[in-house]
Amino acid sequence: MPMSSAAAVAPPPGGDAEKGPAAGGPPQPGGGGGSGGRARRRRQARAGLLFAAPMLLLFAVFRFGPVLGAVFLSLTDYRLNGEWTFVGAENYTRLGGDELFRDSLTVTLLYVVIFVPLTVLLSLATAAMLHQVVWRRGLFRGIFFLPYVTSIVLAAVIWKWIYDAEDGLLNGLLGLASLGPVDFLGSGGLVLPSIALTSAWKGFGYSMLILLAGLQAIPRSYTEAAMIDGAGPWQRFRHITLPLLRPVLFFVLVIETISAFQVFDAMYVMTGGGPVRSSYSLVYMLYDSGFKFFDFGYASAIGLVIFVFVLGVSLVQRRFLGKED
Amino acid sequence: MAASRTAARAGRLTLPVLLVLTAIVTIAPFAAMVLVAFAPESGQTFPDALLPDRLTLANFERVLSGSDVLRWTFNSLVFSFVSVVLVLLFAAMAGYAFAKKRFPGRDAVFWALLATLMVPFQATLIPSYILVSRLGGVDTYWGMIVPTLANVQAIFLMRQFIVQLPDELFEAAEMDGASEWRIFTTIVLPLVRPALATLGVFVFLWHWNDFLWPLVIGQSGEMQTLTVGLATLQSEDVPINQVMAGATITVVPSLLVFGLLQRYLTDSIAMTGLKG
Repeated sequence: MPMSSAAAVAPPPGGDAEKGPAAGGPPQPGGGGGSGGRARRRRQARAGLLFAAPMLLLFAVFRFGPVLGAVFLSLTDYRLNGEWTFVGAENYTRLGGDELFRDSLTVTLLYVVIFVPLTVLLSLATAAMLHQVVWRRGLFRGIFFLPYVTSIVLAAVIWKWIYDAEDGLLNGLLGLASLGPVDFLGSGGLVLPSIALTSAWKGFGYSMLILLAGLQAIPRSYTEAAMIDGAGPWQRFRHITLPLLRPVLFFVLVIETISAFQVFDAMYVMTGGGPVRSSYSLVYMLYDSGFKFFDFGYASAIGLVIFVFVLGVSLVQRRFLGKED
Repeated sequence: MAASRTAARAGRLTLPVLLVLTAIVTIAPFAAMVLVAFAPESGQTFPDALLPDRLTLANFERVLSGSDVLRWTFNSLVFSFVSVVLVLLFAAMAGYAFAKKRFPGRDAVFWALLATLMVPFQATLIPSYILVSRLGGVDTYWGMIVPTLANVQAIFLMRQFIVQLPDELFEAAEMDGASEWRIFTTIVLPLVRPALATLGVFVFLWHWNDFLWPLVIGQSGEMQTLTVGLATLQSEDVPINQVMAGATITVVPSLLVFGLLQRYLTDSIAMTGLKG
């Protein structure tokens, strides 16, 4: 998803990217101060602008433009035919009283609460296993990473069949044990965990790699010292490894939370938002408002609500990371 | 003594066994997909679907003739490859400018670009759609491609890479009277080839797997990409074997990329935190 990635808000600790634009801040010595300095500087500036121009133009039109556009649209009743009137905060007050909005907000928050711990635990467990077991590490790492290179639509299609109440793989297995059938996607209580598991399966390989890099950055001598002191494997993990891994863990937590707030694809494919809107997320409501009801102003207001949530998560991250340093 | 040694060995084996089990569970959905795709259509229910008495290509033939899979594949290829080429070119140019050229407001602009990472794409979906639709870009390749080229992660990565190149290289070329464009194509581009390769893989995967943007821009059947087409296919009354055959087709390019460049991909995530 090229544009739906508000994810990499901060580079993960431990990588080269840490010396990001902040550290790179002091301008490069462009070779100024030589003879003909001013003419050369002007030439350099012109070349710089020209080289950056295509991207700057693209950003101005397709990133900054739409951000302003979203704010503007959310204050209007823009319709399909392009006609609009200024309605002030009406879209927002309407959101406040809209049961559909409250439900989709609840669904999104519930999904965040289910998905984030699930995917972080899965990535942490697999990363910890890979860190401990040297045997065939490359192969296992590759296997865990495999679902990540596929699309969430593909994952949703496969898992929809796995969960199917009649012909599904999971109910087939349950049937062998004389259990079920369980209607995973048709029950209001099971649908969000089922979708969360699908997304976690699709994406955990990414966070696993980040966590594995974090684990490998912890000096062996720390855990070895604890071992000499008689600490068991679990104690070592709990009291030595985990505290040292905290910044990386926090990074993973934040990007997974942000991605969870944007959930849509899996729900669109697997349930269509059902049963009875039990999997109808904020982005789903935005999509319907925009492309089913062509209520562009209202849809833009929902978009800004999603933005505020994502921004909130990013700001929390900034604060905590600031403390870590 | 013997008992405790056995216990210790069992303890040592716990993790590898768990690892193997987790790996099997991770792969199982793919294996099931492929099996169902090659199973005869009658065997839809478990366990027949997974233990077919014979394998067949009929599902692939039917999905290829009965749906627009080839058209979707073509659209996905155009969307992904054109985007990769243009993102790499523009990001390398911008990365060079931000790394090695001084122009007014350079650092402020760079920070402003980075700030767009905080705005989720969904928040600007509606204005982006209206913009593209007013420019006449709905149901066109350019309408699908051009807005996705504004990729800040790509600029960031290229800048990080180019910053490390020694300035003397460019100064020497400049003394020799090489034009800026010539310096860029003959010095910068060859030196950043590894970064371009990594970035290219990511941009390809981002586009190949993208869903929401192609969904709203490629509305006609003609312009659907593979992800959108697959979602349509499974929502219609198509037998599961054919859906899985279609799914298998969509995953082949990702698997090729993965098989060839796994090491590359995984290492660069660990180093840079690129994420799709």
